[in-house]
Amino acid sequence: MTSLHQKDTKVFHALLYLGGFLLFMEWLRPLAIISDTGNVEIFILFAGFCFLLSLIRLTRWIAIPLKFAAVLIILDGLFLQGRIGSQGWLHSFSTQLDYNLGLIQNQVWTDFTPFFRTLLFLIILWLMSFLLHYWFVVARRVFLFVLFTFIYITVLDTFTTYQADSAIIRTVIISLFVFAIASFLNQMDRERLRPAFGKWFASSLIPIVILSSIFIAVGFTAPKFNPIWPDPVPYLTSTAENAGMIEGSDKTVQKVGYGIDDSKLGGSFIQDDTPVFMAESERRHYYRIESKNQYTGKGWERSTNLEFEEQSNGSIDLDLFSSEVKTERLEASITFTEQANFNKLVYPYGLDAITGQEQLELLLEKETGTIEIEGKQTASLLGEYQVAYRYPSFSLEQLSQDNFIDPMDIKAQYLQLPANLPDRVVALAEEITKDATNRYDRSKAIEDYFDNGNYTYQTTDVAIPEGDEDYVDQFLFDTQVGYCDNFSTSMVVMLRALDIPARWAKGFTGGQLTDQSQAFEKEKNTYEITNGNAHSWVEVYFPTVGWVPFEPTIGFTGGADVYQENEGEASETETDEEVDEEEQQQENQQQQEEEQEDTNADVGANNNSNFNVPWYVWLIIVSIIVVLGVMLYVYRYRWLNRLMLYRYPTFDNVQAFERAYHYLLRVLHHQGIKQHSGETLREYAVRVDQQFNLNKMSELTAMYEKILYRNELSLDQDKYAHQLWKDMLTLLL
Amino acid sequence: MSKLSNYHPTIETVLNNIKRVIIGKEEVSVLSLVALLSEGHVLLEDVPGVGKTMLVRALSKSLDCDFNRIQFTPDLLPSDVTGVSIYNPKEMNFEFRNGPIMGDIILADEINRTSPKTQSALLEAMEEGNVTVDGQTIDLKKPFFVMATQNPIEYEGTYPLPEAQLDRFLLKLNMGYPTEEEELQMLQSVSQKHPIETIEAVMDKKELLSLQIEVSDVFIDEMVQKYIINLITATRSHPLIDLGVSPRGSIALMKAAKAYAFIHNRDYVLPDDVKYLASYVLGHRMLLSQGAKFEGVGSNRVIQEILEQVDVPIRKAQYQ
Repeated sequence: MTSLHQKDTKVFHALLYLGGFLLFMEWLRPLAIISDTGNVEIFILFAGFCFLLSLIRLTRWIAIPLKFAAVLIILDGLFLQGRIGSQGWLHSFSTQLDYNLGLIQNQVWTDFTPFFRTLLFLIILWLMSFLLHYWFVVARRVFLFVLFTFIYITVLDTFTTYQADSAIIRTVIISLFVFAIASFLNQMDRERLRPAFGKWFASSLIPIVILSSIFIAVGFTAPKFNPIWPDPVPYLTSTAENAGMIEGSDKTVQKVGYGIDDSKLGGSFIQDDTPVFMAESERRHYYRIESKNQYTGKGWERSTNLEFEEQSNGSIDLDLFSSEVKTERLEASITFTEQANFNKLVYPYGLDAITGQEQLELLLEKETGTIEIEGKQTASLLGEYQVAYRYPSFSLEQLSQDNFIDPMDIKAQYLQLPANLPDRVVALAEEITKDATNRYDRSKAIEDYFDNGNYTYQTTDVAIPEGDEDYVDQFLFDTQVGYCDNFSTSMVVMLRALDIPARWAKGFTGGQLTDQSQAFEKEKNTYEITNGNAHSWVEVYFPTVGWVPFEPTIGFTGGADVYQENEGEASETETDEEVDEEEQQQENQQQQEEEQEDTNADVGANNNSNFNVPWYVWLIIVSIIVVLGVMLYVYRYRWLNRLMLYRYPTFDNVQAFERAYHYLLRVLHHQGIKQHSGETLREYAVRVDQQFNLNKMSELTAMYEKILYRNELSLDQDKYAHQLWKDMLTLLL
Repeated sequence: MSKLSNYHPTIETVLNNIKRVIIGKEEVSVLSLVALLSEGHVLLEDVPGVGKTMLVRALSKSLDCDFNRIQFTPDLLPSDVTGVSIYNPKEMNFEFRNGPIMGDIILADEINRTSPKTQSALLEAMEEGNVTVDGQTIDLKKPFFVMATQNPIEYEGTYPLPEAQLDRFLLKLNMGYPTEEEELQMLQSVSQKHPIETIEAVMDKKELLSLQIEVSDVFIDEMVQKYIINLITATRSHPLIDLGVSPRGSIALMKAAKAYAFIHNRDYVLPDDVKYLASYVLGHRMLLSQGAKFEGVGSNRVIQEILEQVDVPIRKAQYQ
């Protein structure tokens, strides 16, 4: 091996490694789209830098400081203030590091700062450059990485918004080259040859270039069929969601959505973006369904039987607040989807009348505010209906009045608390409201209390009270982690502990604005409300005003509009509809878990019906595949034999004979004639021949021995050897 | 053992010649030839009268070589082995008289009955290929092949060879008694005239030397060399062995394997050759632990165990 040839090998390795880098780029490219990673080009640059250093095999003592410096420069440019290396810089660097290392210690992986995530990501890129160098240049095992790249790209293309059309083409081209170079190098190693680069270029590269360009050109221009099957994603997601719906067990993960039974609250739920109804309205606001008044310590129930009253001509006699409250007349139309599996209507605050396409026979339960339709099993059958409502804005002055007495019936129903409510809940409620002077301030104090940073909104890993644990007590003092039910129930219970009548209201949040309506700029917007928008909040009773909604759940803005009279409407202290863009974004981010991009949900809804393959068909398909797989495995030597006989029709070269002989050993092994440890081939062959009373294996082995132990490069009796080999295989199977 | 390969034609004539004198015992004859062809020496351990001397004589007669016999006794002196300078009054000078070691094939009988001083004179000659007498170094002629015997039943008045000297012998063999059939055949063949008188040389010294060169040219693949090393290494870490086989042992095993392959008319070494020879080459080169002796485990059994544990190379490195 001359130095010239060694140089050529280096060129091959460089090409191979470049291919590896290009493939790795395909992993980085989608990051900007599928995650919130910014500045992908910097990461690509850094990866390229690491790859380059690995390729030129720089001494470790130079390469490591160089890479480390690159990491520092990137972190400095992206996050850190001040001149690099200055005291302030060092301080912020160490603070960041310190803080995140603390998080590691506490296993709060999700709270890492972007600085630390970037640091970790850069380290991963660094490691990947090492790994790929090993796979591609040292071990020359290219296939696995190429395969994973393809899987990665196709999965992203299928399940995310990333369009991998050109990525696939690029990957195919790169992998063809990488395979070609790797197999060429392996071949050369096996034959112990070292051809010059120029020779290789002419004999191998040009054909590869021509062939792959033909493939790609044909693939690109040839007509392509549309997919025969509809997009499986919506089907898969809906199946996955249904998988979570195991009823009856306390520990199960529930599916988010409106449910009737609230007697046992708690537990995690999985997301469901199935639309429940579409609302066309001018404002985005909550939709109420009902309220509950009896807290059991585990959940909510109704204390009284429901008394439905028939409503005439669609006008609804439901007064949640007094007529003194300032209102705005609005109309909205609501259309239930097929997914709405409850028979109650949703309505905005201040409901006056409901009109449907057909004459509706509506039943109203006044205490809870439940409206049902007579003769309809589920709301989905109702189709579209219009609601006329007077949307309320409450006066702060009015709410702040404190000289009233609650009516007896309100006191009787809405101050109930379980007898075994822990005292510390009451104590906490008193502590929170110690500075408040009136009912509104107290309510606000409790509503705002959850924002103190100790409470976390999340839908997974939410505890269920066990034994004599109290649901509210558990949330307030032990877990401090939960979703709307935890927050709203806690607020109601604390208010009641302060003798303020309050109740627990259920319904849906305002949903997502759909793209469609934005495009047309209509006066009314269309909102899509999904199962994920199911929500619960608090209503507090003010004798002079009525029931006023409050929103204790952190990250949600759905409380009442409250204005100060002397400053006029312009200075509303809290609005949920007119939140500015920034707030809306914030809210969206926080509600991300409950509300997903509506486009995705749309696709899901539309395609779901097309993909109606019954489950038993799937079962049959899967079982056929399993049975086929098992049969293929059990009878593998039957078809492998044919394959081998086809693959080695002659032993015209030694390699073929060696492989064929080892295949025969494998078959013998499979047939139970195993080679003992320390047994030579000759001894083994004799044993095999004794079994069959023949001499074929020994003869074949003698030939193989010459190749193996004498390094013979040709087989003198290749036809005879092939015959012997074939005979042995036929004998065995 | 291998039915596939026949003997090398020249070797076969020698073996047939010996067979006429020594009935049975083909294995010992073959192994003696292994030692002879790879320029090593043999230690035969067996009771008297089983034909050790007859084997050596038959061998030397078949090869047309000088045969000397040294009977070791406690009062034998080194000069009795190497030769001595004697004053010649007529010429008025010292004249060197060759000792019995100045032969081609030497039978050193009952080597463990002589004093260590005399033993080491012989062993030095075996190792160095020359003897030093009165400050004069005399090279021994080739071929030089020593077959030493040692009697395992007499312990009184014996000087057992130390381990360090034992590994001067390439092989350590046991002759063993003949089977009934073989013994009957033997009686019939010696009843009139001893067959040793009738056999004639089938090969001369020159031919023997060229065969020795051919043996050293036998090909041994690196895989098989590694197999040998693996076996030797295994003896060094075996729990029942206190002192494993030295690198001299690996060289001996490889040389013997080459000769054995050659005898079987092959120009390349098989792992089978190594495996077959392992117990003859390695048995006397290691020190078993007290535990092994206490349990009655012999070196042969330990070597068998190692052979079963060490993997035989069955495929080229690139296919592994």
